[in-house]
Order: sequence, then C-alpha cells, then structure tokens
Amino acid sequence: MPSELLKGLRLLDLTDEKGALCGKMFADLGAEVIKVEPPDGCSTRRIPPYLEDIADPDHCLYSIAYHAGKKSVTANLATDDGRAIVADLAAQSDFLVESHPLGYLDSIGLGYDALAKKNPRLIYASITPFGDSGPGKDYNWADIITWAAGGMMYLMGEEGKPPLQMSLPQAGLHAGGEAAVAMMLAHYPRQIDGLGQRIVVNMQACIVWTLMNEQAMPFLHGSYLSRTGVFFGSADARRKIVYQCKDGHISIMIAGGMTFGNSTRALIEWMRENGFGSDWMRTKDWISWVPGVFMDLTEQDHKEIEELEATIQRFMLAMTKHEIYAQGLQRRIFLAPCATVADIAADEQLKARDFWTAVPHDTIGRTLTFPGPFAKLTATPIGSTARAPRIGEHSDEIYRGLLGLAPERLNKLRAAGSI
Amino acid sequence: MSRFALEGVHVLDFAWVGVGPITTKYFADNGADVIRVESATRPDVLRIGPPWKDAMPGINRSQFFASFNTSKKGITLDLSKPKARELAKRMVPWADIVVESFTPKAMRNWGLDYENLRAIRADLIMLSTCMQGQTGPNALYPGFGTLMAALSGFYYISGYGPGSCTPPYGAYTDFIAPRFSTCALLAALDYRRRTGQGQYIDMSQYEAAMQNLAPALIDYFATGRVLGPRGNASARYAPHGAYRCADEDGNERWIAIAVAGDDQWRAMLTALAADSTDRRFANQPARIENAAAIDEFVGSLTRIHNAQELTAKLQAAGVAAYPVENCVDIHQDDNLEAFGFWHWLEHKEMGPSPYEGLEHRMSRTPGTLRSAAPILGQDNDEVFREMLSLSADEIEQLKKENVIF
Repeated sequence: MPSELLKGLRLLDLTDEKGALCGKMFADLGAEVIKVEPPDGCSTRRIPPYLEDIADPDHCLYSIAYHAGKKSVTANLATDDGRAIVADLAAQSDFLVESHPLGYLDSIGLGYDALAKKNPRLIYASITPFGDSGPGKDYNWADIITWAAGGMMYLMGEEGKPPLQMSLPQAGLHAGGEAAVAMMLAHYPRQIDGLGQRIVVNMQACIVWTLMNEQAMPFLHGSYLSRTGVFFGSADARRKIVYQCKDGHISIMIAGGMTFGNSTRALIEWMRENGFGSDWMRTKDWISWVPGVFMDLTEQDHKEIEELEATIQRFMLAMTKHEIYAQGLQRRIFLAPCATVADIAADEQLKARDFWTAVPHDTIGRTLTFPGPFAKLTATPIGSTARAPRIGEHSDEIYRGLLGLAPERLNKLRAAGSI
Repeated sequence: MSRFALEGVHVLDFAWVGVGPITTKYFADNGADVIRVESATRPDVLRIGPPWKDAMPGINRSQFFASFNTSKKGITLDLSKPKARELAKRMVPWADIVVESFTPKAMRNWGLDYENLRAIRADLIMLSTCMQGQTGPNALYPGFGTLMAALSGFYYISGYGPGSCTPPYGAYTDFIAPRFSTCALLAALDYRRRTGQGQYIDMSQYEAAMQNLAPALIDYFATGRVLGPRGNASARYAPHGAYRCADEDGNERWIAIAVAGDDQWRAMLTALAADSTDRRFANQPARIENAAAIDEFVGSLTRIHNAQELTAKLQAAGVAAYPVENCVDIHQDDNLEAFGFWHWLEHKEMGPSPYEGLEHRMSRTPGTLRSAAPILGQDNDEVFREMLSLSADEIEQLKKENVIF
C-alpha cells in the first residue's frame, strides 16, 4: 500500500538520470508519480549494468531501483498530440519535474509559463547541470562532468594518479534529492495561497555542497587540499583514515579532545591487550592531545602520529573487517569497515530493523530485495512496495481514467505514434 | 503572500554536527524560525572543527559550524540540569517541529523524548536522526559521516581497482541524508495540516545513505555480484575519466571527458586536432573494452591543452567535458557565479567569510542565507525574555547557575 503521507498528490516525472530519484522519493512518500517517457522508453531504461547481464529494460538495475513505485505512460513529444496529452496531464498534476536540455520543454509548449496558465497550482522543477544562465547552461553532460565541476573529483584519488569518480555515479542522485526538497518547500506556501512556482536545481552546486566546507579553506587557511589517497587533512598534518585489514579495509578516526580522545584511548588499550603499542601511547593524555589535521604540527607530533598509525596498521592486518567492527562497537571506538554490498547485506543492524524489503517483479518472474524506507514514521509508514513499471504500462489506465480519452481515440494516437 | 516559503513554521533544534543541522538549515534559510539549543559543556564538535577564521581555532571561529547553521537563532542550555530541561520543555508548545541528532539514549535520559514532548504538544512532529536509527543492536554506534560513508559502502566503490581504497572527501553521507529527512518533515507537516496528527520520525543515516547505492544492493541480493572499485572505467562511455592538461602556475590541471558514441568520438578527435586509425578504438564497444589504452591515448593528447580552453572547444563540438576544479576554481567558476551561488556573510566574530548558497532557486518564494550562524548563546536574552517571558533578573540568575550556559 502506498503511504498515506502524500496521498492525493500527483507528480509528473519527465526526468532522466539527472533526477529519477526525485520521483522515487515522492512515490515512497505516497504521491502518485507518473513517469512520462518516449514510446521506446526513457534513456534510464538502458543504463548498464543489467540484472544477470540481460540487456533489456526490465533488467536495467537503475530503472528497477529508481522507478520503483512509479507509473509509466508513453508520449511522443515530437508530435502535437503527444505534447497536448502531457499538457493535459500537467493540468491535473501538483508537481512536475524535468531534466531536459534547457529551453526544450518551453520550445514545445510544455514550459512552466504555458503550463502554469492552465494550472497555477503547478510546482515545476527543472534540473540543470550548470544552472540556467551561465556559459555552461547548454553544456553536454555526463555524471562524471558534474563530479569534476563540483570539486569532489579533485579530492578523490592518489597523488600522481588521475582524480576519481565513484563506481556508482552520484551527481544525478544528489540533484534528484534536491529537487524533491525544493518542491516540498514550495508545497508549503501553496497550501496557504494555492499558487505554485518554478524551481531551478543546479547540479554542480549540489556537488560543491558535499565538500564539507573545504571551499572556505583558500580564504581562511590560505591553502587548499589535493588528492591524498587514504589520508585526510592538509599535507603537513594529514592523518591516515583507511587501514588495510585481513579481508579489506577499515576506516579509523584518530584524534584527541573530548570527543575523540576516549576512542583513541580505547583503541590503544585494545592494542595493549594484544601486545601492540608502546608505553608512551598508554600514558599519554589523549583527551588534551590537540594536533588537528589542519594545524601546524611539531616534530614530536609527527613522530607520534607516524608510530601510532604504523602500529594500528600492523594490528589490523591480522583481523577481518567484521571482527574489528564488532570490537569497535563494544569498545566505542570511532571506526567502521569499508563495507562491500555483501557486508551491508549481512549487517545485523539493518536486519534487526527489518530494513530490507521484498518487491515482487512479475516482469522478470522473481522477487528482488530493495533497500527499505529512508525513514520510519509512526503515523504514516513510507517506502516502495511496487516494482518499476514497464514502459507505458499505465498508459491506458491514466489516459482513459484521468484524461477520459475514448478507446478509439487512444488507438488512433497509438497508430500515429503519439503515445 | 509571505516572503519565504516556510514563514511561520517553528523549529526547536537540539541537533548537532552534520545531518540534523543541515536539515534545519533548509528550514531556516526558507524563513522558518529555527532556534538551536546548544550546550557549552558539550559544544557541537563542529564549533571547533576546521576551517577556522585566520586558521585559528575558537568556539566561534569555525566555518564548518557556520556553513551548516545559517539563518538560525542560538541559545545555550545545559540539559544535564533539571532547570534547563524544564526551560526546554516550556518551549515545546511553540514548536511545530523538534529535531535532535544525539545517540538515542540522550533525549530519553533527559526526559525529552517524543513520548514526553507530545504530552506537552499533542500534534508535535519530531525527527530523531542518528547514525544507525533508534532501535537495533547498533543503535548506540557513536560515529561521524566520514565513518558512515565507509560503513554504507561508498569507500569501497572508490578506488583504482581491486585492493585500492581512496575515499570520497569528508563526511559524504552527511550530504545525502538531510534531503531525505527534510522531505519527510515537510511531508509530515502537510499530513498534519490535513489530519491534525503529528508523528515521530526515526531516520537512520545508514538507511538514508543506502538509497544512493540501491542498484548495487539489489544486484547483490539477486545475483551475488559485488560492485567494486574500478577507477573511472564506465560501461557506457569511453573515453571516460580525468585527463591531464597543461600545468598552470606549477599546479597540475585535469579535464573530465565522457564520450558516448562515434559522433562524439570523432568530434573529440577533431577538437584535439588528432586522428586515430587504431582498431581498438574503431567503435564504442571496442573503445569501452580498451578503456585503459584509450585513457593513455587521450591523456597524451590533452597534456598540451589548457583545461578551460579545451572544455570550451570540446563542449562546442558536442562533447561532455569540464575542468576538474579545485576549491579555488569553484570560487572563480562562471557557472556558479551566474547562478549567484556564493555568499559572503558578516559573522559576529569571524567577520566576512564565504558560504555556500542554496543549490536550487525558487521563482516566487526564494530562500536565502538570512544571517550568518549564531555565536554561542547569541540569542539567549531575546529568546528567554520574549518566548518564555523571563525577566532580566531571572535570566541573570539562570546564567549564574549555569543553566543558561
């Protein structure tokens, strides 16, 4: 059952991979989300990898994940009839989100101004790679381009090697989430005065926001970071945050102060129990130990950090991620395994919270396991319970039910390639 | 019509560090009244986190804290004291929304959990967000977003190949979770408007982060395939990666390029004044297959070019490209500039400093950074006098007792 939370609200989803998560979030929240795609399917239906490497839209993992809970209708925007049908849908919708090249929908009569004339309540969000007015407003796009433009790529990787993207592209997901927030923000005043508005989401800005204020370093510290591999911090004060262990990597935060000092002390005690570490590590007052990753360190600080990191590295090599994480939890040490999807699938916490959700897929004759809801709400539980639609699966239902088109008219539109 | 989207919405904010404050920042920048309750005995760790004004640490000198707490008011209460908790409870009738982000036992121990607070205001909406959720064996896990980014799989998919692990910068998941918590809160507000009913929201930052990894998780459960680090290799684009350009002022420069098919491949070669008869690059499947060779080839071509000029040239030819920008570049970026992204705000102690603006723009009720972050206890007098009608003497006495602190 869809959630009661946003029951009765309808969102038209005209995005590709720059915003598919937006509609997914609305579907999770209980809105009716109608994905409008070309007769041969949206480009998100053809993003590899595919389940079992079967290259058809029903096995496309991106589509399976991010169209779950949506309905799908097809409309050929190259035809007048196709456009008219989308305009009619927009007249009966509360939200519209799109990520076409800037100005395209305006040019075919589906821009905000045209649609808002018929439906002033409409909240209309355009997801753009670089905003709507700069020199890059019409730039060609791929997810890695935004990762680079937003500054995250420069900070990922090792010195002497190329900057990196993650294996699962992320920029479009950030932009989709931001569009969802913006539209929900705009929904609040609409409930007071009945008026919608136009929203422009800037994907480049979304990635800059992930930099955790590194942006201010040039102005406040007179320096900026570069790729530091498994280290974190400025070049002369950097701290190792990724250590090798028996079956992968583990991330550990080593610091002093009120928050971290106890954790560092607990780690040193754990090493001592196993015969690792030096006397000075055990007697040092870690609570008042201050050297930070963006400070000038003394010779002594450097020596101590180097020895501590080397000791931790030796200690970790004999244990698995799982063993280290279990001890970390018990001893309250700031550490975490660099988990694979297999580790996550086996995680006891997620199981205990009944996180994983089984979603039957009659399209491919199997039931798939999905990440569960992004939050637990006491009055109105949320989360996806329906599989992604097939291309145009709901055309009949929506066009007949919502738009009241007669079957003969639908057949004609179909024959003409409009839907 | 109100000027901001959320004018009239009241948020009582006990949150700290990243996800909670970023969530309430969405509210504050959009006109809601957000009052942050802080403690001087256990200050928000971000208050002492870098970067600092003039690189000098101080409780009111952190841009890390400042960036996440724009447009809010700040008061101080030592919640370990019963009198402080009573004052906090007296503010609940005012609040549409209460947000907190401690490890789960803190609010319960203080008697400030949802059950207690809804007894004060029946239609209250309350969000608790912590690392791993309010229930389950690891609910008390004390972590930060940097560790959560490792735990939730993002470190593992960042690297040059098997065995390599070069994590994303910073607390990556802190920039995923707030959009989910904010949407949940705004939707809950709408539900309350329709039904009169408030509710409690338990958001695990772990579970929110999983949404950005969904295809790989579904794949694993179904087939056992584990997505791993693979450099910049792509199954769709080739070339696809970062390529070294000409150095500038002794600094290395790179350009990101993604080529989707034959037309773009030829356009790229033309823009680079190059040609290739290499059979490994004859068509898109071949180019994807030979990604390592193509990276070497393209890298040899870009090395003499200026990254910005080459971007303009490639984009004009229809090829997706952009300089790999560092933290100086993003402040000089024409596109961010045209969007009006950067803001310089005047902070009581830091003076002017650079803030990230909003990542979207609204036509009718645009949000903005209304004020710099509060210094510790900045709004004590105003809030306690006006909202709780305390006299100047009472406030003075509470300060002496370190209740307001």
